[in-house]
Amino acid sequence: MSNTTTSSIASQQASRIGRAFGSSIRTEQMLVRIASHAILIVLTLLILYPLVWMVFESFKTGGEFSTNVWGPPQSLQWVNYVDAWNTGKLGYALVNSTIVSLSVVVLVIVCAGLAAYAITKMRFRYGPAVFFFLIFTMSAPVPIIPLYAMLVALHLTDTYGALILPAVAGGIPFSVFMFRAYFLSLPSELIESAKVDGCTDLSAFLRIVVPISGPAIATVAILQFIGTWNEYFLPLIMIRTPEMRTIPLAIQAFFYQWGRTEWQQVFAALSIGTIPMVVLYYLMQRQFIQGLTAGAIKA
Amino acid sequence: MATVTTGLRKRVPDSVKKPTRRRTNLAPFLFVLPAVLFYFVFKIVPMFGGLPLAFLRWDGIEPPVFVGVDNFTRMFEDELIPLALGNNIKYAAGTVIMKTALSLFTALLLNQALRGRGFYRTTLFTPVVMSFVVVGLLWTWIFNAQIGLVNSLMHALGLDFLIQDWLGDPHISLPSMLVVDTWRWYGFHMVIFLAGLQTIPIELYEAARMDGASRWRQFANITLPLLKPVLLVNVTFALLGGFNAFDIPYIMTEGGPANSTLVMALHIYIRGFKFYKFGYATAMSYVWAVFITILSIIQFRVLSRNTDNN
Repeated sequence: MSNTTTSSIASQQASRIGRAFGSSIRTEQMLVRIASHAILIVLTLLILYPLVWMVFESFKTGGEFSTNVWGPPQSLQWVNYVDAWNTGKLGYALVNSTIVSLSVVVLVIVCAGLAAYAITKMRFRYGPAVFFFLIFTMSAPVPIIPLYAMLVALHLTDTYGALILPAVAGGIPFSVFMFRAYFLSLPSELIESAKVDGCTDLSAFLRIVVPISGPAIATVAILQFIGTWNEYFLPLIMIRTPEMRTIPLAIQAFFYQWGRTEWQQVFAALSIGTIPMVVLYYLMQRQFIQGLTAGAIKA
Repeated sequence: MATVTTGLRKRVPDSVKKPTRRRTNLAPFLFVLPAVLFYFVFKIVPMFGGLPLAFLRWDGIEPPVFVGVDNFTRMFEDELIPLALGNNIKYAAGTVIMKTALSLFTALLLNQALRGRGFYRTTLFTPVVMSFVVVGLLWTWIFNAQIGLVNSLMHALGLDFLIQDWLGDPHISLPSMLVVDTWRWYGFHMVIFLAGLQTIPIELYEAARMDGASRWRQFANITLPLLKPVLLVNVTFALLGGFNAFDIPYIMTEGGPANSTLVMALHIYIRGFKFYKFGYATAMSYVWAVFITILSIIQFRVLSRNTDNN
């Protein structure tokens, strides 16, 4: 209340000063605003145009490439998409990416959620030890060759397991961290009273904590989903058969095979790989931005 | 007080004490078990269990041979290491500077009461959700010497002297890549700066304006000092990203031309998976992992200090 009054007084004074100085301050503010818009529009175009151009190119004919570099396609060559889809085995790739990403999301949420609940809401002596063990070791990277050798020894080459299991392990510490912070904000009386009513820890977790943890679950889910969906390195070293490729790997393989000749199909493949995620992002931009920056802002 | 309690405790019969003391609730152990198991098997085990590999000569097919510390001493003779390290330092420094400067600038622009702020913010963040493979391939076309967007733009503007082989010329291939990495990530850093800017009370600026402080003075004396924790967060994030760079150089040039974009992760990958020098690559990846860990510890300290302040 007092804040708003002081700021309104301040703004009144500022406008009085503005009037006293004549229009020069207002002109300056106007110029700053116009310049800001001009710069931001250029930067926005620098982000958007390459994406729009990617879609333009994906619909062009082979001949249009050199004659019509910038503009929209003269006609929509849907056949590029059909060819890319078939030769690039992109259907497989979309299914693989979806299965792998969703599995990682579910496993990370279950494991990290349960662990964070035990650490924050149960009488657990070793809770702090588990938590600090995860946090202190989480930023140390796993050397790639030992991981590769281990996954090969476990006969996980060319399986979903090779993509899911290390990703879950990698996602757990930060997710425990996020869930812990969220669970700490929940009143313990809520769980205590549920237990008095005869709830076990598991049912208290499932019936009381999970339903009110939407924001934390969304944050963890988005971060894990996008991270796994876009992961390139793990599939690169673990996947051999074309039918097992995920989206990034399939697109890259397609480019190596056809990039010199069938460029319009490559752009179709790039569009197929990009559009679902970008559409999803624009539908849920608030959650996406919040989820992806959570590590930097909240940590 | 203390003596009284101990005296009391002695009088409590053992049969009453035992159950409360000894009964350990198994439930919390079961709750943390899946997380700890996953983490232990797929992170901790390969992290330490792979160490013996670093002392072997092994191509993945022939039986491995123990070679002692040869793989470690060999690093000093590997001429590509100073090269890759140098490129990596340039890559990290370049991306840190470009990402921080551009994201701070755009965050300051968006911190005004502008129409369409939300739209600008959402759009500039878009590439963050895209795969590096898509970003890298898209920019490979944009930078294409013959038919790429950049060169055809230069030509259209009559700036033919600026036409370059952006990825094919070893002198500019690395800077070109820095542009791509910055393009992808600066929206991310911008959002973090914006969050930081929004915590600075407006009253400070109003008071400064009363005193007749210029925009620049306001920025230098209010914004920058108060933004320092957020700036550190952004710098450490970008620094780690820069030293972990792999996808962009691998996809766009495979480290070429003339190793001008070879970075450490790529060097290790090529030794291991293209030349099948698993032992040597393991030794290198351990040394590199230690370096990255030290950087991460610095980042962790920056982040936790940041929490204390809030």
